Amino acid sequence: MISILKMRLLHWKKQVFSLLFWLLLPIIATLFIINFTSTVQEESEIPVGVVLEEESQLANELVESINETNFIRAEEMSEKDALHSLETHELDSVFIIREGYQEQIVNGSRNRLLLSYQSDLSFAYTPVSEMIISYVQQDTGRSKAAYTVMELSEGYQQKDNWTWEEVIAKSKEIEEEENLLQSVFSFSGDAPASADENASLFDPWSLWMIFSILAAFLLFDWLIKERKNNLYPRFIFFRISFKIYLILNAYIYTLLFLVFDVVALFMFHIFFDEELSWHFLFSLITYRFMLNAGVFAFTLLFRNVSLFYTVSFALTLLSAIISGAILPVEGLTDRFFWMELVNPFSSFLNGEMSLLWFVIFLIFIFIWFFRKEKQYA
Amino acid sequence: MLEVNALSKKYGKKTILNEISFRVEKGEIIGLVGENGAGKSTLLNMIATLQQPTDGHLAINGLDYKKHYKSLRKLIGYVPQDIAVWEDFSVKENMLFFEKLSWKRKTNEELRKLCTDMELDKWEVPVKTLSGGMKRKLNLAISLIHDPVVLLLDEPTVGIDLKSRMEIGNYLKDQALQNEKIIVYTSHDMDEIISLCDRVLCIGEDPFYDNILKKAGKEIVSF
Repeated sequence: MISILKMRLLHWKKQVFSLLFWLLLPIIATLFIINFTSTVQEESEIPVGVVLEEESQLANELVESINETNFIRAEEMSEKDALHSLETHELDSVFIIREGYQEQIVNGSRNRLLLSYQSDLSFAYTPVSEMIISYVQQDTGRSKAAYTVMELSEGYQQKDNWTWEEVIAKSKEIEEEENLLQSVFSFSGDAPASADENASLFDPWSLWMIFSILAAFLLFDWLIKERKNNLYPRFIFFRISFKIYLILNAYIYTLLFLVFDVVALFMFHIFFDEELSWHFLFSLITYRFMLNAGVFAFTLLFRNVSLFYTVSFALTLLSAIISGAILPVEGLTDRFFWMELVNPFSSFLNGEMSLLWFVIFLIFIFIWFFRKEKQYA
Repeated sequence: MLEVNALSKKYGKKTILNEISFRVEKGEIIGLVGENGAGKSTLLNMIATLQQPTDGHLAINGLDYKKHYKSLRKLIGYVPQDIAVWEDFSVKENMLFFEKLSWKRKTNEELRKLCTDMELDKWEVPVKTLSGGMKRKLNLAISLIHDPVVLLLDEPTVGIDLKSRMEIGNYLKDQALQNEKIIVYTSHDMDEIISLCDRVLCIGEDPFYDNILKKAGKEIVSF
C-alpha cells in the first residue's frame, strides 16, 4: 500500500494544481453559490424606513418584530433622512412610530399610532403596512386582554392581583412557547416543514453533492489514461496485478477525497452552522465510498477521455435534476416510492448511510475483477 | 533453460503455430524471424505467458507454465513493442515507479547504474523530451529491474537510429555473456539478427529468411 501511495504521489506531483482545483471545487463552489444567493436574497428584501419618535419598550419591540420579518429590511433612521430616502426611491415606504405610542397602547387606543409614507414607486406598501398593522393590533389586543384579566381578577377577588406588566409578560411567554402566531404551511397529512427564517435558497450539502459528483468523475480520468498507456502487459510481470493496482489507486483517491470531505464538514459547520455529528460523518463517509465505487465502475466502461468527460457532465446535470438535490422531487417520490430506491443519492440527502448502492457498485467491480483475470490464467 | 515443446496456437480453425519445439540454454540469444503475421509475436507472447497455447508445453528452469505460471512470470523480463513508460515522468521517476512494482528491491544507485550501463544517462530528464532511442533503452531498463532469467524482446529497436541500435545490441550481448540471461529477440532487421543472435528460429513457410541466414552462415533452429 505504501508503494502504491508513493507511486501515486509521483503522479500527483505532476498535476498538483488540477488535483487541488477539483478537490476544492465542491467546497468553494458551495460557499460561493450559497453566499451569492444569500446576498441576492438580501438585496431583494423590501427596504423600509422606520422612525422612532419615542424610545419605549413597546416601540422598540415593534421595530424588532419588523426586522425579524422575512423579505423586509428595516432601517431605523431620522424622519428627515427617511423621507429623503423615500423621495430618492431608496426606500419602499416609511413608517413613523409616533410619540405616545406605548401610552396609547396601554390605554387601549388604536388611533393614529403610526404615520406612514409611500412614493409612486412603492410596490410593497400595502402588504408591508398590513403586516405592521397586524403587529400593532397584536400589541393593542394583548393590552386589552391584560385589562380584562385584571378586571376578572378583581371581580373574582383573587389574592394574587397581577399587574398589567405581569399579564403582558406572561402572554409573551406563552406566545413564545406555543408559537401562537407562527404559520407553517404543509400538505394535508404531511409533517410541517420547518420555518427557518434564515433558510437559504439551496441546501449546502445538496449543492456540495452535485459538485462532488462532477469532481469525482473528472478526477477519475486517470483510470482511462492509465489503461490506455500500453502498460498493461508490464504488470503481468510485477508483484501487483494491473487490476489490483487500479483498485488500490482508487482507494487512495477515496482517502484523499475523504480528507477534503471532512474539511467541507468543518467549513459548512463554520459558515452555515450545519450539523457536526458522528452520524452525519458516517453518512458522508459511506456516500464517498459509494460515489467513488460507482465512478470507478462507470469509468471502466470508457476508453475515450473526451467521451467520458462529455458523459460525466451530462450525468452530473441529470443527477442534479433528478436526485432532488436542487429541485424538489417529493411529489414524484411520494407517488413512485421506487424512485427513492433507485436514486443512489437519496440516502445521503436524507442524512443516512449510502450502503445499498455501495454494495451494488462493489458487485460490479467484483465482476470486472474476476471476469478478465481468467484470460491470463 | 527455456524449453518449448510442441507448442501450437490456433484461432478457431486457423493454425498460427504448429508444434514448435526448441530449447534455449543460459547465455544464449535466439532470434525469431518471419514475415508479418507468421506468428513471431504470438510465440513470444506465449513464452511470456501473455497468451495461452492451444497445445504443447513450456518450461523455464524446469518450471512448467501450466502449474507455475505465476512463479514463471518472476523469471521473465518482457520488453513490449510499444514503448510502455510514463511520458510525463523523468527517467528516474519511471525507474522508481516500476521498482515499487517489481519483485526485487533496488536502490536508487542500482537503478541509475542499470540505465547508465546501456548509455541512458539522462536521469532527470522528462521522457517526452528524449529521443526514440533513449525511450527504447528505458523501455528495456524497466524490464530488467527484477533481474529476469529470460528476456523477451518484441522488436525492441524498431524506428531508432543505428547508434542506439548498436548500443542496445551490445548491452544485450553483455547480459547474455556476463549474466547468462536467455534472450529471445524478434526483429525484421536481418543484419541485426545476424550480428546479435547465436541461433535463429524462422517462423512461417517462406524460405526467404532461411536463404538469407544460410548465406550468412547462421545456425537455424529446426522444429
